Amino acid sequence: MTETYDLGVIGGGVHGCTAALFAARGGMRVALLERGPLCREASGVNAGTLTLQMTRLALIPYAMRAHAMWAAAPTWLGHDVGVVVCDGLSLAFTDAEAELLRFRATKRREAGAPIALISGREAMAVEPGLTDRALLAGHCKVDGFANAYLTGLAYRRALLKAGVALHENRAVTGLEREDGGFTARTATGPVRFRRVLIAGGVWIERMLRWLGVELPIKVLVNQLVVTERVRPVMRTVVGIANGLLSLKQYPHGTVVVGGGWQGEGDRERGGVALRPERMVGNLRLACHAIPDLRGARMARAWAGLEAETADALPAAGPVPGIPGAFVCGSVHSGYTSGPYIARLMADRILGREPEMPLFPIDRLLAPRHAGTPEAA
Amino acid sequence: MTSRRIPGATRPAEVAFTYAGTPQRAPTGEALATALACAGVLGLRRSPAAGTPRGAFCFMGSCQECLVLVDGVPRQACLVPVRPGLDVQPVPDAMP
Amino acid sequence: MRQADLIVLGAGPAGTEAALAASAAGLDVVLVEEAQAAGGQVWRAPYPGLALPKPDEDATAGAALRDRLVASRVETHFNARAWSVNTLPEGGFRLDAATESGPLSLAAPRLVAATGAVERVIPFPGWTLPGVVGLAAATVMLKAQAVLPGQRVVVAGCGPLLAAVAAKILASGGEVVAVVDRASRAEWLAATRHLATRPRLLARGLGWALRIAGRRVPVLFGHAIHAAEGQDVLEAVQVAPLATDGSFAAAPPRRFMADALCVGDGLVPGAEIPRLLRAPMRFDRTLGGWVPQVDAEGRTSIPGLFAVGDGALLRGQAPAVHAGRLAGLAAAHDAGRSDAAAFAQASAADHAALATLAPFAAAVSRLMALRPGAVRAIAPTTVVCRCEDVTRGMIDAAFEDGAREVNQLKHFTRCGMGPCQGRSCGDVAAEILAARVGSREAAGCWTGRPPLRPVPLADLLGEFDYADIPIPAPAPL
Repeated sequence: MTETYDLGVIGGGVHGCTAALFAARGGMRVALLERGPLCREASGVNAGTLTLQMTRLALIPYAMRAHAMWAAAPTWLGHDVGVVVCDGLSLAFTDAEAELLRFRATKRREAGAPIALISGREAMAVEPGLTDRALLAGHCKVDGFANAYLTGLAYRRALLKAGVALHENRAVTGLEREDGGFTARTATGPVRFRRVLIAGGVWIERMLRWLGVELPIKVLVNQLVVTERVRPVMRTVVGIANGLLSLKQYPHGTVVVGGGWQGEGDRERGGVALRPERMVGNLRLACHAIPDLRGARMARAWAGLEAETADALPAAGPVPGIPGAFVCGSVHSGYTSGPYIARLMADRILGREPEMPLFPIDRLLAPRHAGTPEAA
Repeated sequence: MTSRRIPGATRPAEVAFTYAGTPQRAPTGEALATALACAGVLGLRRSPAAGTPRGAFCFMGSCQECLVLVDGVPRQACLVPVRPGLDVQPVPDAMP
Repeated sequence: MRQADLIVLGAGPAGTEAALAASAAGLDVVLVEEAQAAGGQVWRAPYPGLALPKPDEDATAGAALRDRLVASRVETHFNARAWSVNTLPEGGFRLDAATESGPLSLAAPRLVAATGAVERVIPFPGWTLPGVVGLAAATVMLKAQAVLPGQRVVVAGCGPLLAAVAAKILASGGEVVAVVDRASRAEWLAATRHLATRPRLLARGLGWALRIAGRRVPVLFGHAIHAAEGQDVLEAVQVAPLATDGSFAAAPPRRFMADALCVGDGLVPGAEIPRLLRAPMRFDRTLGGWVPQVDAEGRTSIPGLFAVGDGALLRGQAPAVHAGRLAGLAAAHDAGRSDAAAFAQASAADHAALATLAPFAAAVSRLMALRPGAVRAIAPTTVVCRCEDVTRGMIDAAFEDGAREVNQLKHFTRCGMGPCQGRSCGDVAAEILAARVGSREAAGCWTGRPPLRPVPLADLLGEFDYADIPIPAPAPL
């Protein structure tokens, strides 16, 4: 006999874990199925940047609420995940970048983000480690960052405490609609639930196909570099107007450099390789912004997969035509906004009206052709 | 532990360099870690997490315990040959 | 970018022989090495200008290898730190290195990875004190630097290096306070039959033992280091007897005043390139632990990638020479320089030699193998990950928290996240986790990522203008 859960969550990243957590606290019996350890994909290997200055315009209200959630993580997650709230600077080094920065910062401020434009000199006062070559900077006093690799440990404890039936290292190989609910197939037997939330990151395309829904998802392969622990060289989280640098120093001294430089990988193999010239380019950008970083050594680099929809906005809402099926993912800066969007998702699943609109996927669906070969 | 140069070996001429501002002498080409050990300097840094004293351990570039700054660049002392005028400093502590 | 027929990474016995064999067979070979000369660890060159009073046979063999390399057409790059290796979309490999004269990028259809082994030390309280060094480290100090590790030296661990180091210290005028061997006399006796298949080496080992006995150095079989004591440097060593499973027996430790402790508990293949490129690995304790799956000529299942020497399969110096040569010949054959018959003929002697050397190598491997009982005995407050001060207790707590595999353990504790990239702690940490999850296979293999070694940003970046940086298209608004 297998019990039928009120909700089955497929995918154990920030979206799946947060939704499962709040659904369980809302009274549902929840099972979470994750093919590996929790939060080991994007959620555990991203740069941890919690900035409003790289957030998509439409997501700014969500990111601000998510930022507050991250800052208060001990209260709802039981773990601080290494969150540091600090000043954030988005830099412009050329006139073209300054123009881009003015435009983007203004737009983001209009959307509610507390971003001010300051001169390069003022920016140096905010960030003593900053180069004197910045022309202009966007300044947000409540940016920050988290320590992504702590995410899995934090959610694991919280989920177990909340009574979620946690199934790590249990891959779902198929999903069928049965008896008014859903049955997930795994190597160690089926799992049944009345409702299902698909939260599988870059793999939601494959998962939605189990339900006959075609949602194309682009896979980004983001490279990251970390130094060994070094003396303090910076105190803010730093980016660049075009969004292609993320840079922060953790309390224990390591500096993480990212910004979306692309490595090699795919859904099947993961982020398998890094491009050396792109690591060097990324690091040059970082050292241009924070010159003292040059004295550090690169200790490790890696690549993680990030999902992106056709309009680079989230896929979060009910699955059209499939009552009881929901999807949550591809949020873009999903770590930043993830906990809040997933919490809205949990509200929706619990039958409550979410306090902010979700992002229904109807707009993204490709027409389904019978016999289409399964694309990569 | 004080290392001791084995008598009877032929060595190149000694050259002068500095460690933490103090003058040192060692045969040119000798590994910096060796030169410092022979001068009685074994503790080169402190571990960042617990602050315990560390020095050269593997002597083959693997363990990273012998990290020092050589002319401002972090290098493993077991791999750096002594050269005249080297300015060697301990690495700064990671975070206060 | 320099295009070659073959890249060899690592100029130890295996890598250098591979480079020489491939070059002699007509390939354009580039050899990259981090140290200032070829020889690896076992044949490490004395630094330039250093001449030892009595060069031993390793010194002679190393010099001969270096001479052959100089006389060859192999293009060598010493003091070159390889930090990145990639497979190319069209096939073949790209290697990036930081050198004294700036960045070096190489490309070739084939690559031989011969990056060597790392020494394993089973942690004990105080093992991080300055004054505690590895056994291989002691060998480097004695042979390549001509220095004694200290005035009063304790030599400890397991395997043939123990007697070699102790004897060398004595021969160089130093004092050995005690030799502390994990193996029992019975283990050594059982190994003698296989060690006798290489009579010259056995005789050399007996010579070491005689020298040690002649100087009346206490040799404690079936013992291990219980703790190292000292404030800022080593001052004393506690030694305790072992039970049959390798853990400490109930008897109290003995104390020796010492200013140097040379300790090593075997070697572990580095296998950095196979792990980095995701070549299939397997776990084999008799070959040092996690090893790449290779055929008889060292080919991995990644086309064009060879892995040889102690960095692949831990078999020692003599097999490494033959394995290296086979890989070099095989690379030339695969590149079309010899047909199947010619290749079979050229490689026959090396294949035969490997077979002959196998029993000795296996016996040494057994003596150096990781003893699970010894790992079990590590106390909870003992540091396992030196870089990050992660203790045995923290690793156990991570298991309680749900860590089931080494890469997850790393996320939970930072064990393995420090600059040594898990070289000092990885094998022991994996063994601790394996005892809880059931097997080393279940505990998994540490993921390989660039850089292959920590590399100073100053070496990578060079001089550049902001406009030089190839910034991709901006992120969407």
